Amino acid sequence: MSARPATIHGVTKISLDGLLERLGPGSIDEKARRDALARFEELPLRQSIRGGRNWKRDLGKLDLSTVATFDQAAAELDLEALSPAARRAGVTIERFSLAREHHRAAFERAFGRAVDTRDDKFASLALAFQNHGVFIDVPAGVSIEEPLVVGYEARAAALFPYTLISVGADARATVIERLAATGAAPFVCGIAELVLAERATLTYAVDQRAAQATTLVMTRRATLAEGAHLDVAAAELGGGHSVSRLRIIGAAAGASINVTALFFSDGDQHVDVETESVHAAPNTTSTTVVRSAGNGHGQGRYFGNIKILADAHGADASLRDDALLLSAGAHIDSVPALEIAANDVKAFHGATVGAISEEELFYAESRGIPRADAERMIALGFFEPAVSRFPLESLRDEIRAALERKIVSVGQGNG
Amino acid sequence: MSERGLHIAGLRSGVDGNDILKGIDLDVAPGSVHALMGPNGSGKSTLAFSIAGHPSYSVASGTVTLDGEELLSLAPDKRAKAGLFLSFQYPAAIPGVSVANFIRTARQALHPDDLTPSKFRALIFEQLDVLDMDAAFLSRYVNDGFSGGEKKRLEMLQLAMLAPKYAVLDETDSGLDVDALRAVGQSVNALRQSEKGKDIGFLIITHYPRILQHITADHVHIMMDGRIVKSGGPELANVIERDGYDRIREEVAASVG
Repeated sequence: MSARPATIHGVTKISLDGLLERLGPGSIDEKARRDALARFEELPLRQSIRGGRNWKRDLGKLDLSTVATFDQAAAELDLEALSPAARRAGVTIERFSLAREHHRAAFERAFGRAVDTRDDKFASLALAFQNHGVFIDVPAGVSIEEPLVVGYEARAAALFPYTLISVGADARATVIERLAATGAAPFVCGIAELVLAERATLTYAVDQRAAQATTLVMTRRATLAEGAHLDVAAAELGGGHSVSRLRIIGAAAGASINVTALFFSDGDQHVDVETESVHAAPNTTSTTVVRSAGNGHGQGRYFGNIKILADAHGADASLRDDALLLSAGAHIDSVPALEIAANDVKAFHGATVGAISEEELFYAESRGIPRADAERMIALGFFEPAVSRFPLESLRDEIRAALERKIVSVGQGNG
Repeated sequence: MSERGLHIAGLRSGVDGNDILKGIDLDVAPGSVHALMGPNGSGKSTLAFSIAGHPSYSVASGTVTLDGEELLSLAPDKRAKAGLFLSFQYPAAIPGVSVANFIRTARQALHPDDLTPSKFRALIFEQLDVLDMDAAFLSRYVNDGFSGGEKKRLEMLQLAMLAPKYAVLDETDSGLDVDALRAVGQSVNALRQSEKGKDIGFLIITHYPRILQHITADHVHIMMDGRIVKSGGPELANVIERDGYDRIREEVAASVG
């Protein structure tokens, strides 16, 4: 075959018609979906989203004719019931399809505030085919201690989830999003949109455990008003080819952002993580902590950007990204970047890629810990600065257990 | 059995084919304290690492047995299991692994299920007291961002918690202030006076005699250029204190010449 620009085959207006019929009116109107699909088809496939050089997996080769079949029953959305106290306080957790109808004012205040699909190919695709989702609204001044848990599970066919979270002024909430896909679910393409009002505090954690047959492209966007605080922590442990792109905008003075990402590509997994913190106003702060590991023939790429705009006097940003290679066949590219247009700011970034040090191993072995156990302990410890930034001890323990399973497969011939 | 003891015989060892140790013979009996002194570069740390099985050091010939068990063919963790403990001059940091988790994992590997969790806790808190450390120390990451004194205190905490039969302390006094040195001395002495610690044989490797003001050695050996050139009682440390290593070096040169 001759070389030609990569295109994604198979998305047709007929499949969108089929979806519209099944979904009914929903929260995204038909015109918005058709426009989004048109944009998806027109926008070029940026090289930067196609993955690292020499990757075997390439979004440009995605054939959506086999994946864009829609069946509501093929995916599940689990929403934990709100506590009576949260319900009395006016907290909303609603299926996306009903959100606009039942909570029109709140929905319209938040929807589209942080996500701009106009020049974004995969966010447009996610919007066009959105077939699951949730809207969470925490009214001004309301503080809920209990974490709100959203669970998506794709069992067959494709999942296009949309998580929209709005946290009102001085409100506080924690949301855990679990994303799973069985081996029969080939494609997940979704959006998370986080909108924080003045002095709102949101902790948002993602635990992605899709099967290794699944391709995922997730677009996550957040915007913070004055004095708001957002903690985002994402564990991208599943998927055969997993792409996640996070951009957070500290849009007003004093907004503060903590970004945590961890991924572990083993077997033949390809994981591509992008994070960007945008300091758009004075005295905004951000910290970014990324830990990744590669095992087997796993491929990983991390692109981390800190952007400090001209108005952001007094901004304070740090980014720390460390990658651990556990096998000769694994590879991780790490690209931290700083774009600074303001004076009088503090910015730090640092990145390392390396194997477990022999000195650490020998130290642990000399204490009686067998080499394989020492490797596992050190590799788990390597992730701990990221794991410890996730909310809830139970979630942290689940992530540690999942990491440990991947580490245990070291040297067992996976991939 | 007559084999009891840490017996080093004819040990030649080095890095990258360079013989650093040129035949070391040393016998540490249970409950005894040997000090091995020598100037920088004499091969003291090479001896410690060769006994413990550091992968960068290769043994050319000789034997090391611990209560009759041959150590040199064993992986480092098996040497620890046999009863050996090495206190490192420069302990490695293991970020993300807490002191408590590390020591619990090691204790479990060496002495499976011999302490209930509550007894483990009681024991470790007792040792923290001896070392003037508070409980927050346990949740810090192993040697990560530790001061020199904290690193050596952690080595002593592990020594007490891991209950070895023989302990090699490699330059445990280097880089310590007076308080930390005293704490290390107290820790070793408390262990030696305890029922479980009274039979531990010690090989204390040091450049300076000052640690021997806190821990009394039964035997003192002087090492130079990969050999033990002189052995004696505690008074030998005083000679070094007074005259440095030059006097011994001259003596050795004279006897060889």
